[in-house]
Amino acid sequence: MNARQQFGRAAEEAAARYLTQSGWRLLGRNVRIGRGELDIVARRGRVLAFIEVKARRTHTCGAPEDAVSSLKRRQVARLAELWLAARPWATDGIDDVRFDIIAVDSTAIPSTIRHLPAAFTCDR
Amino acid sequence: MLASIASEALSGLEGKPVQVEADVVAAAPAFYIVGLPDAAVQESRERVRAAIVNSAYAFPSRRITVNLAPADLRKEGPSFDLPIALAFLVATGQAADGCDGRGPLAAVGELGLDGTLRPVAGALALAESLRRRGVRGLILPAANAAEAALVRGLEVYPARTLAEAVTQLAAGGGAAAPPADLTALLGSPPAAGADFADIMGQEQVKRALEVAVAGAHNVLMSGPPGAGKTMLARRLPGIMPALTLNEAIEVTRIYSVAGLLAQDHALVTRRPFRAPHHTISSPGLVGGGGTPRPGEVSLAHLGVLFLDEFPEFRLSALEGLRQPLEDGEVTISRRLMSLTFPARIMLVAAMNPCPCGYLGDRDRDCTCPAHRVRQYGSRLSGPLLDRIDLRLEVPRVSPQDRRSGAHGEPSATVRARVSGARERQLARLAGTGAYANAHMGARHLRRLCTLEADATALLDRAYERLRLSARACDRVIKVAQTIADLEAAPTITAAHVAESLSYRNRSHHDR
Repeated sequence: MNARQQFGRAAEEAAARYLTQSGWRLLGRNVRIGRGELDIVARRGRVLAFIEVKARRTHTCGAPEDAVSSLKRRQVARLAELWLAARPWATDGIDDVRFDIIAVDSTAIPSTIRHLPAAFTCDR
Repeated sequence: MLASIASEALSGLEGKPVQVEADVVAAAPAFYIVGLPDAAVQESRERVRAAIVNSAYAFPSRRITVNLAPADLRKEGPSFDLPIALAFLVATGQAADGCDGRGPLAAVGELGLDGTLRPVAGALALAESLRRRGVRGLILPAANAAEAALVRGLEVYPARTLAEAVTQLAAGGGAAAPPADLTALLGSPPAAGADFADIMGQEQVKRALEVAVAGAHNVLMSGPPGAGKTMLARRLPGIMPALTLNEAIEVTRIYSVAGLLAQDHALVTRRPFRAPHHTISSPGLVGGGGTPRPGEVSLAHLGVLFLDEFPEFRLSALEGLRQPLEDGEVTISRRLMSLTFPARIMLVAAMNPCPCGYLGDRDRDCTCPAHRVRQYGSRLSGPLLDRIDLRLEVPRVSPQDRRSGAHGEPSATVRARVSGARERQLARLAGTGAYANAHMGARHLRRLCTLEADATALLDRAYERLRLSARACDRVIKVAQTIADLEAAPTITAAHVAESLSYRNRSHHDR
């Protein structure tokens, strides 16, 4: 694993810790579906969230949450649909299904974490 | 999690029923609109989303599918914003549909991002169509309420915001707008403005225009520049009879669909006077476009369509006038639909006799080469000219008239005579669907117009001598009938026919 991958892995760890502390139950991490991967699938109360984690060490290319391109959004949405289709029971007791973004901003130490609930939907 | 709200789509001057269904489920979040929506309906998603959030309702992260049924009817425009928002709020349990057992309410309206309701086009036509289908009531933007309240037998529930619409729906119809007082709306005074008394001399032309307006006959005025053709035409609104209630509703329906209804005038109370520029396109004149819209001929329905510089209009536009002039309506066909707009107009056309304008003038010579004169006149086809009942020469004002500044009758006096003649026509034409002599069908003409023996004889002679077409002959009778109506004469005499013939024949454009 190279430095970049290590940095990404560390960011996902930070995001997972943050979610657990905020009362989320993690249903899956780095869920591979075909060639794609969902970073985190989590549940809290009646909400099910598919969470894309994005980290940045500098802002030269913009804030981390801006780095989730429309291509990436479409990919996450498609993978989530597949994940849900394979688990019809997953939405039992669920009202809202969301696509969230967790931005890990490491321009300063310690890193700051921003959670963007319902950051995007299948159609935009 | 499923809800449904009735709505209505506009198709020409008709409403078509549309059921707006919303399904909200816990699945990957998305907002889909299906059921043949066009771009404006797709954009409805963004307006609905913002309006809901800004009206302090929740927009949960779920999969929302909105279906506009029937799925084979193309849905256009922003008027589905309100029913979509209402169906969504009912499906998510944030609004109650309180219409149980009392018959559902329909809804139309465009939403602003802050949740305010904006007026939609064609509210009158939509309301009429809902009433015909037996729908109990309609929730609609407050700005459209006065217009929809013209329809008897439909409860009208105005709302200024999405929240007010939710309240109306929850109550199954809260506070209904009172039905409009139609006679009060109609009783507005005639257009003040330019008066016929301003025009010096031209007594013969004025008489002919009075006849034309009295029976809604088509007129072509030909004369040198500056003779007063445009001035005369512009004064026609002042002598036109008031709209009857039925006429006013017909005109209002068209203006409502075209989105031209003035905000503070629920009912159009004055006869239209449309004067498009001669560069107008054919669809602009007769109606058309991808989603067919009424053209100038329909906007002039039951009023005057004034075409100044008549031969300068595009040939396609001029020839497009043939069908409306004959049938009183325009049919526009598209791949998926065929729409009919009413177009019972009085055509008033004005032209110079030749390109230089002085052909046939008393004191000035025409400088046009003969072939140019021929070319100019030939832009007006026989079939088009055949539909014009009165062809008038408007000569230069004579020096005596100009010096004396002779003032004619004021418009109000002429208008009184015209109104009398129109009332006699309405009484005679009751049940035929026509409101003026010019619009009588051939069948009604035979039955309703009584010619005296010598009038018939004169007409027969004229038919042969002047080589009139059968249609022209009918039109001569119609104009003669109007002349008789102006005199309150019970039958058409030879004198009436003679005057009528004089208007038809007095032109050098006949070839």
